[in-house]
Amino acid sequence: MLITNPLNSSALAFPILECFHIVGFAFSIGTIAVVDFSLLGIGLRGQSPAQLSRDTWLWTLGGLVVMLFSGLMLFSSDPDMYYLNWAFLIKMVFFISAVIFHYTIHRKALSSDVPPANGKLVAWVSLMLWTGVIFGGIFIGFIYPGLGIG
Amino acid sequence: MLLSFAQWIQFTTFFTDLRGSANVYPIIMSLHMVGIALFGGMILMTDLRLLGWALTKRSIADVVNQFRVPKRWGLLLTATCGILMAGSKAEEYYYNAFFRTKLILFAVVIITELVFYRSVYANPAALDRAPSVPANAKLAAALSVLLWTSIACCGRGIGYIEPPLDKIHAQIHVNHAALLASRDPYSLKGQDHADVATTN
Repeated sequence: MLITNPLNSSALAFPILECFHIVGFAFSIGTIAVVDFSLLGIGLRGQSPAQLSRDTWLWTLGGLVVMLFSGLMLFSSDPDMYYLNWAFLIKMVFFISAVIFHYTIHRKALSSDVPPANGKLVAWVSLMLWTGVIFGGIFIGFIYPGLGIG
Repeated sequence: MLLSFAQWIQFTTFFTDLRGSANVYPIIMSLHMVGIALFGGMILMTDLRLLGWALTKRSIADVVNQFRVPKRWGLLLTATCGILMAGSKAEEYYYNAFFRTKLILFAVVIITELVFYRSVYANPAALDRAPSVPANAKLAAALSVLLWTSIACCGRGIGYIEPPLDKIHAQIHVNHAALLASRDPYSLKGQDHADVATTN
């Protein structure tokens, strides 16, 4: 049975979705990075990282939702290719770890106005995980499934 | 003249080597994206603060002044990686309509920054003292969101224009036939590994 995805009938659908994906990650990863920098003592001073995260969490979540839904639609255009693409699989490992980390350990570190002793470590892990997501995303386009690295 | 400059720069040893490396190019592109997350995120948050949509508990002066230095580092990373990518494909980019549009938008961004610098960005404390955010600051913020989003979208568009193979002398070559064949999971055996090659 042949199922046609309407996304594949328009040449513009994929690049436009990618633009939403990019703006979504600028919001989500950008705001997360700002909070992480604050934990590291860089950037916004005069307020605790916890306060900053209370000001930005909605923008982070909004960005994540846009990024996730545009990403699911991008994925739906060619699931076989993504499934066989090791950069995509690595990206998903980083992404799922990053989201879980963000809403558990990261959130706990930002629950009090006094940052915990491991605050800097939490910030570094968060930055590393999200950077991994970005690298995985870019490498998808340079790798062809089953053919090794591009 | 621009074309001969583009040809000259892409055939310098540095950019020839960069173009020929299978892994360095995507790493640079990834770092470009990391820069966009940092720099773009901070620009968006600053603009949304001026528009009164985000970080409203913080003064405008705090947001503008304290994001300034990290924003410049983000811009430096993004611009450096962008120049490295453009330099290695300079001739192809010369013909690329999205790249040309992107350069024009950069010029517009610089002009708007110069126009609004004194009244908005250089003196954010005055904006806090005003009873409400002045209209010109909101205009500057709205233009900034619009322009930077357009620049990001143009950047994404660059990759969707097929290079004019009859005109250019070097490219980062993507073997579309291998890509298409590889998309059929049952035809993977016996594939060539010539998926990315450089032709000079």
